[in-house]
Amino acid sequence: MFEKVLAQRAHKTIYKDGDSVIKVFDECYSKANVLNEALNQARIEETGLNIPKIREVSKIDGKWAITLDYIEGVTLASLMEQNPDKTEEYLERFVSIQCEILSKKCRYLNKLRDKMTSKIEMTDLDATAKYDLNTRLAAMPRRNKVCHGDFNPSNIIITPDDRAYILDWSHATQGNASADAARTYLLFRLANAGYADRYLEIFCAKHNISLKYVQNWLPIVAASQSVKGNAHEREFLQRWIDVVDYD
Amino acid sequence: MNSKSVHPVDSVEKLEAMLECVRSAQREFATFTQEQVDAIFKAAAIAANKERIPLSRLAVEETGMGVVEDKVIKNHYASEYIYNAYKNEKTCGVIRDDKAFGMKKIAEPLGVIAAVIPTTNPTSTAIFKTLLALKTRNGIIISPHPRAKQSTIAAAKIVLDAAVAAGAPKDIIGWIDAPSLDMTNLIMKEADIILATGGPGMVRAAYSSGKPAIGVGPGNTPAIIDESADILLAVNSIIHSKTFDNGMICASEQSTIVSDKIYGEVKAEFIKRGCYILSPEEKEKVGNTIITNGALNAKIVGQSAFRIAEIAGFKVPETTKILIGEVDSVELSEPFAHEKLSPVLAMYKSKSFEEALDKAEHLIADGGYGHTSSIYINPLTESEKLAKFEERMKTCRILVNTPSSHGGIGDLYNFKLAPSLTLGCGSWGGNSVSENVGIKHLLNIKTVAERRENMLWFRTPSKVYIKKGCLPVALDELGNVLNKKKVFIVTDTFLFENGYTKPVTDKLDELGITHATFSNVSPDPTLACAREGAKLMSAFKPDCIIAVGGGSAMDAAKIMWVLYEHPEADFMDMAMRFVDIRKRVYTFPKMGEKAYFIAVPTSAGTGSEVTPFAVITDEQTGIKYPLADYELLPNMAIVDADMMMNAPKGLTSASGIDAVSHALEAIASMMATDYTDSLAERSLKMIFEYLPRAYDNGPNDPEAREKMANAATMAGMAFANAFLGICHSMAHKLGAFHHLPHGVANALMLEEVIRFNSSEAPCKMGTFPQYDHPHTLARYAATAEYLGFKGKSDAESVENLIKAVNNLKAKVGIKSAIRDYGVDEKDFLDRLDEMTEQAFDDQCTGANPRYPLMSEIKEMYLNAYYGRDARKSAE
Repeated sequence: MFEKVLAQRAHKTIYKDGDSVIKVFDECYSKANVLNEALNQARIEETGLNIPKIREVSKIDGKWAITLDYIEGVTLASLMEQNPDKTEEYLERFVSIQCEILSKKCRYLNKLRDKMTSKIEMTDLDATAKYDLNTRLAAMPRRNKVCHGDFNPSNIIITPDDRAYILDWSHATQGNASADAARTYLLFRLANAGYADRYLEIFCAKHNISLKYVQNWLPIVAASQSVKGNAHEREFLQRWIDVVDYD
Repeated sequence: MNSKSVHPVDSVEKLEAMLECVRSAQREFATFTQEQVDAIFKAAAIAANKERIPLSRLAVEETGMGVVEDKVIKNHYASEYIYNAYKNEKTCGVIRDDKAFGMKKIAEPLGVIAAVIPTTNPTSTAIFKTLLALKTRNGIIISPHPRAKQSTIAAAKIVLDAAVAAGAPKDIIGWIDAPSLDMTNLIMKEADIILATGGPGMVRAAYSSGKPAIGVGPGNTPAIIDESADILLAVNSIIHSKTFDNGMICASEQSTIVSDKIYGEVKAEFIKRGCYILSPEEKEKVGNTIITNGALNAKIVGQSAFRIAEIAGFKVPETTKILIGEVDSVELSEPFAHEKLSPVLAMYKSKSFEEALDKAEHLIADGGYGHTSSIYINPLTESEKLAKFEERMKTCRILVNTPSSHGGIGDLYNFKLAPSLTLGCGSWGGNSVSENVGIKHLLNIKTVAERRENMLWFRTPSKVYIKKGCLPVALDELGNVLNKKKVFIVTDTFLFENGYTKPVTDKLDELGITHATFSNVSPDPTLACAREGAKLMSAFKPDCIIAVGGGSAMDAAKIMWVLYEHPEADFMDMAMRFVDIRKRVYTFPKMGEKAYFIAVPTSAGTGSEVTPFAVITDEQTGIKYPLADYELLPNMAIVDADMMMNAPKGLTSASGIDAVSHALEAIASMMATDYTDSLAERSLKMIFEYLPRAYDNGPNDPEAREKMANAATMAGMAFANAFLGICHSMAHKLGAFHHLPHGVANALMLEEVIRFNSSEAPCKMGTFPQYDHPHTLARYAATAEYLGFKGKSDAESVENLIKAVNNLKAKVGIKSAIRDYGVDEKDFLDRLDEMTEQAFDDQCTGANPRYPLMSEIKEMYLNAYYGRDARKSAE
């Protein structure tokens, strides 16, 4: 049907076709989530960030599909894998891109706080843990920065002329920058990336915030990650969740 | 509805119903008397005390944290110590009544308290807060932490049941049975005040609820052990405190910073008493166990040292008291530098006291800003070090030689630190309160302030000698009583050249007193002139100064006196305007330490011989400094008409009419008293009678001269105490702007001012408690009557008074309008606004019974310029 399959993910298949990318979602995938993803992406386009543009939202063989620009290039993740000696340089660039995203405002985007509240509710944690997490979340400063929500090197494509495109805006919200960094840090740690702590250092330095602010979000992003129910992550996440503020 | 039917409170709707129950109970409770409240407070405290052991067991069972026996102490403390501290405190209705000052304090409850209770001290904090609420007639709704809800509620219920049995309204204490953040937020929004003890998230939520909140901050108490410390006491106090309830008191020591000189001994003592020093590997394990991503691992809070070692993966003896990690870094990257809420302690070695302070400061800034710091030191020999510690620690509790868990909560190791389980951390900790929270934070205090009148005084030179020819007799005292050796005479050239100082110097010679004379005082004396005189004085070093002359010589002499006694004094400061001479910002330097001051007037009018005033002009800027302070009051005034016999007509009239204005302003002044009234009125009567005679007959009428001499001094005494008013405000500036003699300038404004002050409905009246309504018309009318000018009404009497003043002015050759004195109309109008503003700001304006608008001053100036009748110009 299409030129080739670029990636196969849970509940969606991503194809390349000429200069287009078509994300085809399984039937089980919620229509609202598909439309939300398309809407997020359309909104982010308006911020001026370098992202593949939406061409069409359609139904292909009864399945929802989003058609976007195809971006020629290599993911930052592959580059990092191929050039381990350049990790520092890539991390710097990675954080710069993240900071650029966080510098944007997009007032109609969903709120990170609301998303986290519902994620906490969806966890199988006990009432006490939920109470503590909700209290922690409620105390976080209210911000409205564009947060990618799944910012990791595999979502960045570097084109042959060295431009960076940011992909996959399905998790985008507006909220606190530290939460977005906490989320990235968690992804790195779950992937056992040796540079996770270095990433955090660079982020805090570039974004000019204290490590403590990012750390304060870790129990919350860990709880939200636990909703995905990956059994092998469970113990790790639980340890991150099981912390208290003093009484 | 009552609270029994509402429980279990497990939804926002039920909580709203509960809130209504508590509110209604509180409305009833607010009417209870002190006796009723105290009986309830006592019964509740006893009940909580009795249940201290079951409640402790329940708390430990439910939360899995802490030590039953220690929690018993906390419960015992929360009931007994709180009761004891407040049993005799008044919290209902009038709690203070100061009848003399008319000040009453009335205590009222705030309403409903939202109380957030922590997991670490659930039962004791619940007892503490509910008892405070009962003592202050507040309702309270408890929001427990889900991890400790059963024990928290059990404690609240015990207090409630006992309170109700003792007569409290049945729903005065409520609680949430199934806590959720939504419900906690709801009561925080609905309550009248929030008492938030909990994590920073909860405290932040409390502060952002929009309701007044009393919160606490996190602690990270460092304990410095100085080389002067009693090591036995220090180490065992820290162990005692750190092991208390497995380290869950927020004031508990988190680290100890030990001087390297005694480090070995301290360490040995810790080991001897059952503490465990971690090996480097164990230290790393414990570090990784207690802190996750910079936050405290919930699983280790309130656990024993043995259990924490076990979780970390190694064994220590079961009886181990504290796990001690010897560390260097105070940065947050060091797990031991955090608050640990468990028997885990960081131990630092300091090479100097300065280093210990730096470390403590850093630990506090990172984790316990505003909370508690602790030091072990010999306070007798090391008071300087201790002072430095007190100065450097930004903590609201600074404990000395005291276990900080027990010490911080108060009344256990110091009996003036209020007992409390809610420890305010001030703005450093993001709190509104920097003390241990108690009943005073849960009361609205109404202050009832009744009107009171200002104290006034009557001050005059201690010696005023009067009688024609009294000068040599009075001066006799200098030699025979006061034993003065060197006299400095200040006068003006005219008087000096015409022999006015000769009677003085003759007498001094006769007494064998050395003297020197400064005769260079000019009219409107300048600062330069005063400095010149003061310089001579400093060289001559007199023990007595005699001013001989009119206002200029006496004022100049007063200033020289100031410069001589206090060369450092600043005129700008001394001349600073004030509202109340007793509340002025500037404290006038003490006078009379070097020289005794005698004033001998040679004209009848200024009154300076008995006043605390002096005016001096800065010749460089043209600024006049009006100085006023009772320190400037002469020590002796010699009023001898012999010194005035030959005064020229112009001087006689100008100074005589100046005395009229002094008397009239003293009468109108808001600060007038019976004392000043009698002097002023009598003075006026004498002036009306004798001024024309003195003016007409000069040296041939000694009686008139003497009466005028006394009248001027009496008017001086009156305004020295009642002060002046806007006639002088305007005359000061008129004289300065257009070079009119002071007395004449006053005379030109008198009519305007009498009319202005007589208004029964002034635009603004003066501010002074004694001045209760605009009554100056009646005051002037009474004076007019006393002087024999009574009319058919007060208004007519005042008109008669004005007429009499104008007649007097005419008789002594004073013209009726400013322009008659050759003041150029264009110049007058061009500078009128500036003159108006300066007159408004004159020191004399403050005592005037009618507070002038600048436009009103301007209008008076215009009327006086053209000599037009204010009544006509108003039409």
